[in-house]
Amino acid sequence: MATDNPEYKTSSTPAAAPAGVDFFIFDVILRFLLFAASLVAVVVIVTGNQTIYLPFPRPAKFRYSPAFVYFVAAFSVAGLYSIITILASLFVKKSPALKTKLLLYFIFLDALILGITASATGSGAAVAYVGLKGNNHVNWNKICNVYDKFCRHVGGSLAVGLFGSVVAVLLIWLSAYSIHSRAPR
Amino acid sequence: MKGEYKGTDGIDGIESKGRELVEAKSASLGVGGFIFRLLGFTFSLVACIVIGLDKQTKTVPIKLIDSLPPLNVPVTAKWNYMSAVLYFLVTNAVACTYAALSLLLALVNRGKCKRLGTLINVLDAFMVALLFSGNGAAAAVGVIGYQGNSHVKWKKVCNVFEKFCDQMAASIVVSLVASLAFLILVLVHAIGIHRRT
Repeated sequence: MATDNPEYKTSSTPAAAPAGVDFFIFDVILRFLLFAASLVAVVVIVTGNQTIYLPFPRPAKFRYSPAFVYFVAAFSVAGLYSIITILASLFVKKSPALKTKLLLYFIFLDALILGITASATGSGAAVAYVGLKGNNHVNWNKICNVYDKFCRHVGGSLAVGLFGSVVAVLLIWLSAYSIHSRAPR
Repeated sequence: MKGEYKGTDGIDGIESKGRELVEAKSASLGVGGFIFRLLGFTFSLVACIVIGLDKQTKTVPIKLIDSLPPLNVPVTAKWNYMSAVLYFLVTNAVACTYAALSLLLALVNRGKCKRLGTLINVLDAFMVALLFSGNGAAAAVGVIGYQGNSHVKWKKVCNVFEKFCDQMAASIVVSLVASLAFLILVLVHAIGIHRRT
């Protein structure tokens, strides 16, 4: 891994280059975690549909709330993005000349994905909190005492989504650090 | 931005003037970073103030029994009645404080200590996440406030508290600009390091 990098040895500090290469594996691992997290988040919230009978059937679905729809859309995008970037990382492993440029693009796109996933987690959590606690100032009653399974799914999905956002932050840190390690001191 | 790019591109070919190059680059990076940091600070401060002053009291006629005349009841909408808005305010306050501190640090530092620059970049990315989640939370509650949710019988409140809702929407937009400024800060820093490679 550390030896197939003649380009950096000639152009910049030789000591920094192998470290940069090693980070690429962590990068792929983190991207895979992001993919797994978004997949789990989407699947869990989509399968959370619950219908209760009191005595008429009253279903609870994620698509009844715009915030949850946004959540699902955002994490679908994040999952797709992570697949594409995993492939790009693996593909570019063979051509180190592209790596530094790719790292810069990765920071751009990671920052965007971080914004999307963080706002999705925030919006989903805000609605879920109102659902859990209710709000007597505006007379929004809590619904989680009725839709227990739905709320559990939403809560789990939000937790996984939060994890995904944290992974996105870590990705930016890693990319910034590995691009930093390539810069001459 | 474009002018700086062109200028540094021109020097890029000359390897021997590396030191001069690095200085020019860090200077241009510093100016761009400074502007966006100032933007982030100002807009998050404005968002804080706008949402903090958001309060509206209105007398609403409520009909308890059909035969009696409607009762006039004063109702108040305040930002701290909703946890999501509270969270929104807190994130903006944190971002505003952080922006002020990092502005000071960046001015004192002026690109001398690379480690500090990296730390600031790391915290910038964290602020992006924080501000975006706050925006998302406030916007999600705001959408329910504007449209309501018939499935769970949450009635809309923005037909009553128009001024409150408009002020909240304005605050969210301003805060969104602040979070975009922080996003650009991360990118500016990355471009700055990338140019040095």
